[in-house]
Amino acid sequence: MSEQSLIDDQSASRVGTVAATATGEVNRRDWQRWAAAVGDHNPLWFDPEYARAQGYRDIICPPLYLQYAVLGVTALDGVRPDGSSGAMSGSLAFPRAPRRMAGGESTSFFGAAYHRDEIEMVRTIESIVEKQGRSGRFVLVTWRTVYRNQHDELIAEATTSMIARP
Amino acid sequence: MTREQLFYDDVQPGDALPTLTVTVDERQLFFFSAATYNGHRIHYDKDWARTREGYDDVIVQGPLQAALLARAVTDWIGGRGRLVRYAVQNRAIAFPGAELSFGGSVTAKRLSDGNIGLVEVDIAGRRDDTVLMPGTATVALPLRGDQS
Repeated sequence: MSEQSLIDDQSASRVGTVAATATGEVNRRDWQRWAAAVGDHNPLWFDPEYARAQGYRDIICPPLYLQYAVLGVTALDGVRPDGSSGAMSGSLAFPRAPRRMAGGESTSFFGAAYHRDEIEMVRTIESIVEKQGRSGRFVLVTWRTVYRNQHDELIAEATTSMIARP
Repeated sequence: MTREQLFYDDVQPGDALPTLTVTVDERQLFFFSAATYNGHRIHYDKDWARTREGYDDVIVQGPLQAALLARAVTDWIGGRGRLVRYAVQNRAIAFPGAELSFGGSVTAKRLSDGNIGLVEVDIAGRRDDTVLMPGTATVALPLRGDQS
């Protein structure tokens, strides 16, 4: 008996489409809270005088924080039972593979983001494939995400993936 | 705050990054979830993590592992160093309370067309000998004598 694909037709049909777009303002307090939660006290994120001495015009947003600057707002009754919002994944549900975890990410950084920069993110579903892992079948979803600032300058480009398991 | 600057000239393939050692606790998991607007229950709801997703405990966020590994890199390159490319994979989960280490080593260096010193590093987050998060990064480092 052949196994049913973990990828439903509706999810499969969304490859190549835009999964999510978002805009958000980069905020120094928010990135500093993030840095503090990481224990990352790099003065580039905190100390304007230090940042200027390194050639920046002010403190800069930690590169890995940029992805959170565009997160929107989800109503409590809009979140999934597992507590995740699904907004950034384009609400790919995978009813046959409901358990999900982050796969990996690869990001190129082209410029710094500063306090109050307006970032626009466009995320496209690049691929959805089923794979066989050591602990069974899973779905690997890959997105391509581009971040630009209010001057239309490319700040970062990321490829991210998610694993969904039965 | 004074930090020592690393220069392209002084880096060679095989050089090791200083290792960052962190034991993540549940408090840090909570603050990281809050800072990243992450409501996923597996990071705070032990019962959900165990009975619904099959883990022994709540788990450390993959993006927190990634951020700690990036911190090891950005601490190393100094204020005039720049993270150009950063790539990691989530290979294994980690539970709070376990000592994790984040480090790497230089694999290659080259000058770009614009005379920028680019350095490639292999990086990894580990628990003992288990690689939780392998990755690679490219950093740009200043050249000695180039104060611009």
